[in-house]
Amino acid sequence: MEAATQEALKKLFESKLNKAMRLYLDTCAHCGLCVEACHVYQAMPETKYTPVGRAEVVRKLFKRYFKMQGKIAPWLGEVIELDDKSVNMAYEAAFSCTGCRRCVTVCPFGIDTQQVMNIAKLLLIGAEKQPQILAMLSDMSIAKGETWKETANDYIAALNNLAPEVEALAPTPPGRPAIPIDVENANVLYVGLSGKHSIVPAAAILNAASENWTISHFEAVNFAAWLGDGEKQRLIAKRIIMEAERLKVKEVAVVECGTATRVLKFMTGSHPFRIVSIVELIARYIEQGRIKVKPGTISGTLTYHDPCQLGRNGGVMEEPRYIIGKLTDKFVELTPNKEANWCCGGGGGLISLGEHEFRMKTGKVKVDQMRASKADTICTACENCHTQLTELNEHYGLGMKVESLTNLVAHALTGFGA
Amino acid sequence: MDPQAVSAASQAVVHTGFALFLDKLYYFIMVPLVYISVIVMIVGIVAKIVSIVRAPIPAFSLKTYPAKKRPFLAALGDTFGMPMIRKEKPLFWFFLMMFHIGIFFLFFGHLDLFPGVNLMPPESRHMIGAGAVGLSVTIPTFYFLFRRFKGQERHISVPSDYLLLLLLLFIFLLGDMISWGNSWTANGFVMTKADFKNYFGILKSFSFVDPRTVLHGSHYHFVVLHVFLAELFMMILPFTKIVHTFFSLPLNLLRRR
Amino acid sequence: MSDYTVAKTLDCKGLACPMPIVRLSQEIAKIKVGEVIEMFTTDPGSLADVPSWAKSTGNAVLENKQESGVIHFFVKRQK
Repeated sequence: MEAATQEALKKLFESKLNKAMRLYLDTCAHCGLCVEACHVYQAMPETKYTPVGRAEVVRKLFKRYFKMQGKIAPWLGEVIELDDKSVNMAYEAAFSCTGCRRCVTVCPFGIDTQQVMNIAKLLLIGAEKQPQILAMLSDMSIAKGETWKETANDYIAALNNLAPEVEALAPTPPGRPAIPIDVENANVLYVGLSGKHSIVPAAAILNAASENWTISHFEAVNFAAWLGDGEKQRLIAKRIIMEAERLKVKEVAVVECGTATRVLKFMTGSHPFRIVSIVELIARYIEQGRIKVKPGTISGTLTYHDPCQLGRNGGVMEEPRYIIGKLTDKFVELTPNKEANWCCGGGGGLISLGEHEFRMKTGKVKVDQMRASKADTICTACENCHTQLTELNEHYGLGMKVESLTNLVAHALTGFGA
Repeated sequence: MDPQAVSAASQAVVHTGFALFLDKLYYFIMVPLVYISVIVMIVGIVAKIVSIVRAPIPAFSLKTYPAKKRPFLAALGDTFGMPMIRKEKPLFWFFLMMFHIGIFFLFFGHLDLFPGVNLMPPESRHMIGAGAVGLSVTIPTFYFLFRRFKGQERHISVPSDYLLLLLLLFIFLLGDMISWGNSWTANGFVMTKADFKNYFGILKSFSFVDPRTVLHGSHYHFVVLHVFLAELFMMILPFTKIVHTFFSLPLNLLRRR
Repeated sequence: MSDYTVAKTLDCKGLACPMPIVRLSQEIAKIKVGEVIEMFTTDPGSLADVPSWAKSTGNAVLENKQESGVIHFFVKRQK
């Protein structure tokens, strides 16, 4: 590695050293409590797959370049140099971590591996070793911030084509399109994904609630959050924030996507509108009697997988259970669940990156949980988790049904025109 | 054998050559280095805290859910109760609690040695805990060390982890010799609690008197070694993972609010 | 209107986020510069995704058609 690159990487490293990072890097006692908390380690018990093992790659660089100890007695902390080898180690650390933050809850200091891995990811970007797929998808999302007006008519036409599918689930309130777009002063701006499965069920629910809503021109997912590129992450989220400001909406409801929800809800500052997960909105509609669901539409027992970014990292844990309580009385929990739930292995951008073999291996502990639940159907509230659970179900031959919570609700809507 | 006789014998020898050098080194360790190490520790930790206070605040909350109603109390509970360790590794938790409570009493045990501070009755030959405090830090330190010899704990440990524990172990064992000798043996440790009170008096008064005038006997070597290793510990404290003494609470606050 | 020959056909109907774009980027790498790939998807969002992807990667969307819920793209590899 050239000296100039090394200098540039050091600068990038330093740019990440906020209060939290300094504390995280200075304090780890190597107690090893986090080791067993990682689903990757559970499947592949190697040091490099432990939270501390991952963080040590960054910590050893920190000691080498930012601490006296690393300069006086580098052997004390087994420091490493910024070179091609350590960059490769950073890649393996950062992209074998799904950022589920389960280890944060068992660490006696609450050291946040996901945050520490963001340093590793930034170094990868600096060394031009970042995963190209995530970089490409991030650039696509950012480009859409400029091109969306040119393609808006095509998009609107495609949305209109979905009207029959939406109306098969719930009637459209009179005088409105089934999927409204660009509605100023709407109560809710719904941000979906590209696929119609992320649009049709939500549209039906919003229509059933007679909500004054509008759909976003953009997809909620934030690929740059997985890439670890803070600036691109901001630009991608900003498209949606600006749209919400332009339309003067009261609330932004984010599709079942854990990362998108967490980024928009917690990482974009404060706004004149609220940002919620669609799951929170659905729970509120049911509670307020704005939508009714009929129980018994799900055959057999149902279990729920808490998406890490929505549950442990986003605080949406009771709402899905409240909704499920209205859908079925045959609900069983996965063990453990809520804040202690195991990551499915699909987070951190691994789905987008492919990584099928790695994901199938590291999903083992989730598979064990699914099996033990003996449930017929597993539902979740995150596109990534849904994809991963679907693939795990197939790979391990579990014979379960994998569902999205929004979809389950949309297919149980009842009591129209009352 | 009369311990006083031993002390008198060692006092009577005229020191030259290496023995004289040792005398000077011992004096340096027992008086000036005490002040130096305390200053290094304080300056080091202040500098460290300043570097963290001056670093930018994270742009968003790093808390985990379910959110606690009283984040500060929750962070206090995490810091001092370590509930996650109690749940995951109860034996480790037991030794950790024993160790940290022991450290707390150790601090007061030494505070008690300053003239005028009498947490224990001045006439008692016992230090605080009468030897039990030493036991309560020594046993866990053995456990902390040995657990790093196997499994993932071995792989995630770096040389400084072992050295720190060995350093602690040596400090504790030397301290144990002194306190156990005084509390648990018929002859005592030669130097009594009252002798150490005189030494702490020298330190407190900044008189720079040679402690040899109040600490008699050949066991002085052990005391010097105990003090030296403790000084080493204080001086490296701000630059090692022992900063968790100061940072555990702020860290736990990060995940609670 | 379609005065170009299709070198490769890609069926992305019903794929989850973000597989259509990932597949497109992988498959377009397998055709020669100047050749055209056709892609079928059911994602309404692809109508904005594919052009913005093309813009950011320097490729060109020649045409898109919507027929009964299926979206049909013709994308030319330019780089």
